[in-house]
Amino acid sequence: MTAVEIALFATVIGSMVLFGGAAVLALGWAFRSGQFDNFDRGAKSIFGPDEPIGEATDGFPDMNHERK
Amino acid sequence: MATTAAMTTTVDDSARDRAQAAAERAAIDASCRGPVLFFAASAIVWLLVGSLLALLASVKLHTPYLLTASPELTFGRVRMAHLQAMGYGWLSLATVAALLWQMCRLSRAELVYPKLLILAGVLWNIGQFLAVVGIILGDATSVEWLEAPAYAPPFFIAAVGIISAWTVAVFRRRREPHVYVTQWYILGAIFWFPWLYLVAQFMIFWSTAVGVVQPIVNWWFGHNVIGLWFTPVAVGTAYYLIPKIIGRPIHSYYLSIIGFWSLALFYSWAGMHHLIGGPIPGWLSSASTVGSMMMLIPVLAVAINHHMTMRGHFHRLRYSPALRFTVFGAIAYTLVSVQGSFEALKDFSEVTHFTHYTVAHAHLGVYGFVTMIMFGLFYYMVPRLTGREWASSTLIRVHFWCAAVGIAIYFAGLSIGGWWQGRMLNNPNVPFAHIVNYTLPYLFSRSIAGTLMTAGHLAFTVLFVMNVAGWGQQRAGGPTFFVEPPSASLSGPQRIGPRDL
Repeated sequence: MTAVEIALFATVIGSMVLFGGAAVLALGWAFRSGQFDNFDRGAKSIFGPDEPIGEATDGFPDMNHERK
Repeated sequence: MATTAAMTTTVDDSARDRAQAAAERAAIDASCRGPVLFFAASAIVWLLVGSLLALLASVKLHTPYLLTASPELTFGRVRMAHLQAMGYGWLSLATVAALLWQMCRLSRAELVYPKLLILAGVLWNIGQFLAVVGIILGDATSVEWLEAPAYAPPFFIAAVGIISAWTVAVFRRRREPHVYVTQWYILGAIFWFPWLYLVAQFMIFWSTAVGVVQPIVNWWFGHNVIGLWFTPVAVGTAYYLIPKIIGRPIHSYYLSIIGFWSLALFYSWAGMHHLIGGPIPGWLSSASTVGSMMMLIPVLAVAINHHMTMRGHFHRLRYSPALRFTVFGAIAYTLVSVQGSFEALKDFSEVTHFTHYTVAHAHLGVYGFVTMIMFGLFYYMVPRLTGREWASSTLIRVHFWCAAVGIAIYFAGLSIGGWWQGRMLNNPNVPFAHIVNYTLPYLFSRSIAGTLMTAGHLAFTVLFVMNVAGWGQQRAGGPTFFVEPPSASLSGPQRIGPRDL
């Protein structure tokens, strides 16, 4: 094997290990930190007191009635 | 009496909570306004450049003697420059604007040192300018999706390094403990894209892989830049915008998480379906066909989820431009992905490969899906960043219908023409010149579609410029800026100007 081939081989194997490993670590972290414990709360996390569930937040500029 | 007093206190409390949350959101939006608008504005500039190049390339295919005097404007260069302008200019810069803004909002964290991101934007645009001009002048490489001449990639690499690092920095400063599905998609994208780009540059240009390994790396990159860079951010954007606009949580959050992880697992396999029938080992393209079929899992997860979330709220498509564009994009995502899975079957490829059918499929993906969702995002995001409403709802309608009808004509014309082109190419009794003539009306329909789409882009640009220039009414009355926040509740009064509220 030439030096170039070794470099290419190392790139392919290295990135497979690195990126496969990163995905496993990320998934492990997500489980450990309770990200998947309560899906209901997760889905609601983008809403808050000012933009609560049940309130639309957008409309055409000249149709203010849609925005409540 | 006591009950009334208690009720008043509760109302006061909730009004205060509401004002506080609105102020926090306004402060977060204000902190990322500069870089996000910079990325958005430069994306739109490249959208226009890319549209003009696209029109020229399209017209040249049915009127081949147009502008043939100068080598700069020949079809080969113009088409490459179009791909460069759209892929790395419009789509990538819009993607960066989308991921930065959503990462700040979803992490509930302000962006620190925004000027560094503006520097990243400037670097990206320099690289992009060099790439497009370089391609026009004849310096392009022969690698699809990596046509940029050797002097452009260092700018992209530096810029994407800053962008990824800063997105992670925002994520690490998060106040919101839950990692929303959109954040997963964004984190995936900013992690995958630098990896793809660096490995592809390294293996194709710096330390040249020889023989069939080159096209293999080429299409591993070419497909993944779509599947692991544009797709995750666009799907993530739909996962944020649709629930947010209609005020209803995602139908099944569980399904959305399954969708993300199955995309992460399967999408990177799919690239070799571009080389079906090519001189690569058979098991490689077979594995890709399997990977492409497995993509039905994340795609159907997203499709079911978005549809069930929207159920009962479809009438809102009449009112909200952001929702209409986003839902159009989400539907196109399902269509293009299911189509793509079946296109990867070898029997299907036998007909459609190397025909206009593939081009129609590609545009349904990058335009019908990604671009439409980015338009939707801009319609939602820009007023919240500038504090101005869109100046003309007529122009928004013009934009939507030009884009929607344009991509529909584009897709229908080239799919039908491409299919029969493929069938005839497989029949040795049909003379080649006959096939070329047969495709002419379909190619002409593409120019009409392109003209419509470009007209829509012009309407969009006028709206954007008017908004940023401060034309159009001050944003007021919407729930986002419902309550005048009391200055005491702000984390720092200097962060908020009257325009944010």
